[in-house]
Amino acid sequence: MNRYERAAVGAVALMLIAGAAIFFYAPTDYLQGPVQRIFYLHVSSAIAAFGCFAVVLVGGVIYLRNESPAADRFARAGALVGVLFTTVTLVMGMLWAKTVWGAFWVWDARLTSTLVLWIIYAGYLLVRRLADPGRQAARLAAVVGIFGFIDVPVVHFSVTWWRTQHPGPVIINDALPPQMLATFLFTMACTVALAAVMIASRYRIETLVDEREQVFEPAKVLVAREPGGVAGPVQ
Amino acid sequence: MSPLRVALAVARKDLRSEWRTREVVPALAQFIILALLIGNFGFQIDSRNATSIAPGILWLALVFAGLVAFGRTFAAEREQASLEAMLMTPASPVAIFAGKAAAASLLLIVCEAVMLPALSLFFGTPFSAQVVAAVLIATVGMAALGCLFAAIVARVRARELLLPLLTLPLWIPFIVAGGQAVQSAMGLPGSYSESISLLIDFDILFLVLTSLAARFVLDE
Repeated sequence: MNRYERAAVGAVALMLIAGAAIFFYAPTDYLQGPVQRIFYLHVSSAIAAFGCFAVVLVGGVIYLRNESPAADRFARAGALVGVLFTTVTLVMGMLWAKTVWGAFWVWDARLTSTLVLWIIYAGYLLVRRLADPGRQAARLAAVVGIFGFIDVPVVHFSVTWWRTQHPGPVIINDALPPQMLATFLFTMACTVALAAVMIASRYRIETLVDEREQVFEPAKVLVAREPGGVAGPVQ
Repeated sequence: MSPLRVALAVARKDLRSEWRTREVVPALAQFIILALLIGNFGFQIDSRNATSIAPGILWLALVFAGLVAFGRTFAAEREQASLEAMLMTPASPVAIFAGKAAAASLLLIVCEAVMLPALSLFFGTPFSAQVVAAVLIATVGMAALGCLFAAIVARVRARELLLPLLTLPLWIPFIVAGGQAVQSAMGLPGSYSESISLLIDFDILFLVLTSLAARFVLDE
């Protein structure tokens, strides 16, 4: 096993332990019943998604500053993993909402801004797919990623800025009993670790793709014939 | 040449070419009338519900007309490969971008001058200075964003697909606040002044961000 496979096995093991904690350690909610257990993974994947989009933002800013291909690869990896975790957040939230609110979807500020977040970064991935790979695509995508990040604080503060149907913050308001809080913090750590491992492996894949396509290679220049040698391209 | 004069020259060039070809504005005006027609048949509109449906039709028509208008700004340059020539001059890319954005938003404003009277003509909604102001203030920020993304997708395959996908999510703040402003201007509940100040905030935010980003989009 190489180190990516080892890290992946570790991350999956952590998520299984988190799953066990969610179902066997955390107490059942008095009002909502077992459906409240969705909360742990729902909030954790939202936080992991925010982290991924922060990677896209920082990668984009660094890329615009010094055209570092590594920063761009991190941004690409972050966007893909972030869209994945946003999808998980939305789907789990809808399952919870169907039971508790009676509808999969309501047009509330938190839900709407999260959906917009998903659309923005799905658009980012489409730009990457449709633009010819290379420096120009990287630069354009960096701009999209930086603009898209505006929505992250909007999603985060939507529950305090507007009166929403979505529950307000429970962690920072100290509204959770200790066992629930411990389960949540553990699940969050595991989810963030999983996201980090996914970004790292995706980064590796993007590096291999870039090397095969040679998208960031400078144009090869022919040099004068060396004495006794043959003319050839230099890197 | 100072950046302001460059921007004015670029805007004048775009407007003159539109004046001579008369491509975008007549097409968009017709598009807007068609959108109102579809709105009429898609909803059951009568004198009681017109004010609650008309703002939605207004924003739908405006958003899609805007996408077409901003998509066209860089299309003509691409067909003639003249953008590269402009960028080779010592003029700053930001000034060129500002000029193109100004011309495109002026074209959109001409279309709005068709849309707003037509809306109140067909749906009997009030045609007030408040409605006009809300639409104009929203146009500023929407134009900045729309032109930025039009410049981004101009060099990408499948640009017709990508422009709405990238632009619409970032236009949502304008549609939220502008929709609220037009609704309250047409007599529905809601605070008009609050939504207008929100629109101005978004204008400032996105004008600053697009002027920072324009350099990276047009450079090369």
